[in-house]
Amino acid sequence: MSDPNQDNIKEIDSVVIRFAGDSGDGMQLTGTQFTNTAAVFGNDISTMPDFPAEIRAPAGTLAGVSGLQVNLSDRDILTPGDAPQVLVAMNPAALKTSLPDLEEGGVIIVNTDAFTPANLKKAGYESNPLEDDTLKNYDVIKVPLTTVNREALKDIEGLSTKEKDRSQNFFALGIVFWMFERPLDTTLEWIDKKFGSKPAVAEANRRALQAGYNMGDTLRTFQQRFRVRPASLPPGTYRKVTGNEATAMGLVTAAKKMGKTLFYGTYPITPASDILHALAGLRNFDVRTFQAEDEIAAMGSVLGAAFGGAFAVTGTSGPGIALKSEAMGLGIMLELPMVIINVQRGGPSTGQPTKTEQSDLLQVMYGRNGESPIIVVAPRSPSDAFHMVYEAARLAVRAMSPAVMLSDGFLANSSEPWLIPNPDDIPEIPVEHPAPRDNGHGPFLPYKRDPETLARPWAIPGTKGLEHRLGGLAKAPDTGNVSYDPDDNIAMYEARKGKIARLADVIPEQDVFGPESGDLLVVSWGSTYGAVRSAVAKAQEAGYSVAHAHVRYINPLPRNFEKLLGQYKEVIVPEINGGQLAFILRGLFAMDIHSFAKMAARPFKISEVTNKIEEILG
Amino acid sequence: MSTNNIPLELKLNRKDFVSDQTVRWCPGCGDYAILAQVQKVLPTIGVPKENIVFISGIGCSSRFPYYMNTYGIHSIHGRAPTLATGLAITNPDLSVWVVTGDGDGLSIGGNHFIHAIRRNVDLNILLFNNRIYGLTKGQYSPTSPRGKVTKSSPMGSLDNPINPISLALAADATFVARALDADTKHLGEAFYEASQHKGTSLVEIYQNCVIFNPTEWESISDRRNRAETLLYLKHGEPMIFGKNRDKGVMLDGFNPIVVELGSGITEDDLLVHDETSKELAFILSSMSFPEFPVPVGVIRRVVRPTYTEGLLQQIKEAQDIKGPGDLYTLYTSADLWTISEHDEPQTAQSGELSQDVNEQYVDDLEQEPVETTFIQDLMVENTLADLKPKPPITVDADTSLEKAIRQMNTHNIGCLLITDDKDRLIGIFTERDVLMRVTGLVDDLAAADVGDYMTADPVALTADLPIAQALHEMSVHGFRHLPLVDSEYHPEGIISFRDVINHMKASFTDN
Repeated sequence: MSDPNQDNIKEIDSVVIRFAGDSGDGMQLTGTQFTNTAAVFGNDISTMPDFPAEIRAPAGTLAGVSGLQVNLSDRDILTPGDAPQVLVAMNPAALKTSLPDLEEGGVIIVNTDAFTPANLKKAGYESNPLEDDTLKNYDVIKVPLTTVNREALKDIEGLSTKEKDRSQNFFALGIVFWMFERPLDTTLEWIDKKFGSKPAVAEANRRALQAGYNMGDTLRTFQQRFRVRPASLPPGTYRKVTGNEATAMGLVTAAKKMGKTLFYGTYPITPASDILHALAGLRNFDVRTFQAEDEIAAMGSVLGAAFGGAFAVTGTSGPGIALKSEAMGLGIMLELPMVIINVQRGGPSTGQPTKTEQSDLLQVMYGRNGESPIIVVAPRSPSDAFHMVYEAARLAVRAMSPAVMLSDGFLANSSEPWLIPNPDDIPEIPVEHPAPRDNGHGPFLPYKRDPETLARPWAIPGTKGLEHRLGGLAKAPDTGNVSYDPDDNIAMYEARKGKIARLADVIPEQDVFGPESGDLLVVSWGSTYGAVRSAVAKAQEAGYSVAHAHVRYINPLPRNFEKLLGQYKEVIVPEINGGQLAFILRGLFAMDIHSFAKMAARPFKISEVTNKIEEILG
Repeated sequence: MSTNNIPLELKLNRKDFVSDQTVRWCPGCGDYAILAQVQKVLPTIGVPKENIVFISGIGCSSRFPYYMNTYGIHSIHGRAPTLATGLAITNPDLSVWVVTGDGDGLSIGGNHFIHAIRRNVDLNILLFNNRIYGLTKGQYSPTSPRGKVTKSSPMGSLDNPINPISLALAADATFVARALDADTKHLGEAFYEASQHKGTSLVEIYQNCVIFNPTEWESISDRRNRAETLLYLKHGEPMIFGKNRDKGVMLDGFNPIVVELGSGITEDDLLVHDETSKELAFILSSMSFPEFPVPVGVIRRVVRPTYTEGLLQQIKEAQDIKGPGDLYTLYTSADLWTISEHDEPQTAQSGELSQDVNEQYVDDLEQEPVETTFIQDLMVENTLADLKPKPPITVDADTSLEKAIRQMNTHNIGCLLITDDKDRLIGIFTERDVLMRVTGLVDDLAAADVGDYMTADPVALTADLPIAQALHEMSVHGFRHLPLVDSEYHPEGIISFRDVINHMKASFTDN
């Protein structure tokens, strides 16, 4: 397609686009297609979906708005972007929910056909925002999408008008492809694959996409086109990956590297279920998924599988982690290796199932009866979940202990490019099971500890001569026999605590972005990494003496952590919770630590963190 | 009870199963008799000691694993079936026993009880039913009769009791039996039969709590009176009881009634026990003393695949179709793009990945022109005919998926060609299609036509074209197979990426 209008193309280094519409409008799909095309083109990308908790909220209402935000850039980006510069709004409700986020002067593409009195009312608009001055500060592109799409598809036979209207999203996508100078190939190929067996539907989508593109190309409705050049990422083969996908692949990898069967016992819960879906399709890897009758059963099955010698894992979210806590305590008492993935969501109670929070940190650290230390790690981005779940596995096996990976709804569903590793380069995870033996060797001692790691032996049923009983009652060292003796109790408590603490020897030291000492250290963990790192980088550019430490190993903390905190005049911890890591750090190190808590069940914006840094440093 | 067919090295005796722990139940507790019978039966079940695991929850009965010299876990309240399920899924060779009570198994663990049973996990569940909470010192339990006066129900309990056998049958239990702690020989037989059953076996044991509920089963368990109070079930035999074997159970409409033999009623009129009948099992589960004798023995026994058998079958099927899992294939099963050292990104690949060719290898070939001079010549000069294409396997569009996939397996090929009534190529159906469009999406393979799942109008080449052309098509579209056709579009052969690689390899060797 020739473009005589080259002058209108503006080179920009990054752009944030949000696709928003009714949950039935296919906006997740539209955004995903755009993202895939941008990724294949070589932009760095970061996405954030935002969908309603209700599967089908009433059409046209604010509750039913589903959106996907994409940030594409010609350089390394870390977040899906603070404020979109381009908004595609398929109806008044989508416009209303997204407008507050939109950057002033941004571009809005609206489907004017959807701005009917009924839809305006459902969205709570008293007058039509397209006609009053609501949008006076924006560049509004009005497209009668329904009408023009029907026109483009009018001679396709075998589809009802309603079915044809379903491809409106592809018309809109075509317009955006034109705006951002993107080829249609990836999406056309996808349409062929997806609708291969339904030629009329495939044709409708193809034609809608093409017609949208042509509309931009020929009518020149738009003031501006944009060009975002490919990013210069490290060489290699890339794919797009979400946190949940990366977690599933990391689990399969860890299982292979242990030489073990992966057992994944879980109960469906948003937003963790996608891990189950991904793993259930991998039976050829000998992945044994088990959909239990409830959260407690899922955790119980993991204990049984771990006893049996599998790499045993569960995934949960929200109230699920509370239900699992008793059985997690038993896991700590039995001293068996297992991984618990908690994809945190908004709480308390049922809270906000599709929104994100970091508010289960204290629950997993301390939310069990008795003194029950557990390993806790947290990935910092979608692709980092691949690495951190592998780390959780490695540490769990080494210490013979449950390990928790704290993911969250934001990074679970967000995506970013992932430099695909060579599986041969990923180290094996050493696993030892004591060998069978004949009678006459004295009793087997299931709690005889390795002097270096303090881990007990992982003897599995089916091994001759190692028959032994484990249980949740207090026990004596070595034999594991039930014991309420005070000295035994102290010894076993110290051992359970000590073996977790000793893992600090085999995790990396805490790294710091910025000066090794100075005015301010920003400490963060989990999915806030992108926003915090970008904000600290900006503050450094502005001349502030500020550094960033992003914690991925929370229990135990890296061995240099306490010393590190002492190198700065002030320490602040931004978190999507009420200040939980700050609370822990104050308790551990008796230091004055600022908390910057955000309880909106939404990720940080870069600007929020930047402002806070400036506020502290003046 | 049979002790045949037990290998010599398994000659174990009761003492092998006794642990070094002191048994700490109350003197006179029925649990002693149960423990003794289990230890007596285990040497006869044909399973090595190291393959036996006892898992319990919380309660008096749940101390059981500590007293067994086998593998075991004393877990948490009500959850023993969940641990046992995870274990049985992990290692199907184990003989896994769940020891639970009426409080542990039916109250806090009621949910897990029914779900383990409906899944038919290979477990033996021993339910010690004393109709009381013993360890918490005497509150009413879910099997206590309504009106039971206990510490927590001084004016009588308001709860209607649950019937464990009926509950298990509602979950479609494949093995249900009942026995009494007082009748030790019969108890041992029930354990043996349970051990031999594949799937979930439930043995309800009427068990005596000597402290808090000592008279609960007195009326039926008294040795002198058992012939009158118990109905010993035997598959295929009429339901007769009584000291003089002069009473029986027969049906009056849908309802069981007790009758006296003689005066016109003979054995032929009585119900005959059939372990395979679920309806009969429900009737038996509803019979309670004193209106009826209490049925004991195997109430229901049917064969159904276990949960783990089904799971292992799925694993095998998945591996047969997809091959054992390969990590790199897993990582790359998405849209890919490649960024090379100095270039801007350019190589877009679709998700159609080859399992037999390392994609990176192909990229390397493309990016290192110095190395490819010889290959380029080879690719341009040699034709597709030089690859010695395999003959195509063709089917009609209305062939069922089942048949099509079987053809692929039979011929050990990765793709089928679909032809019309004039034998012209109209589609291609590949193992990738099986993976992406069929597996898990199509329920009835026999009812679906391959024509609806093929790729229509596939790219096809003629045999006189250079290999480079095929390589180009394969690389641009991500194909692994390409059909060859004549000028009339009749299939002549099929070539794969592997053929190209093999040809290259052979040519290198020749040089």
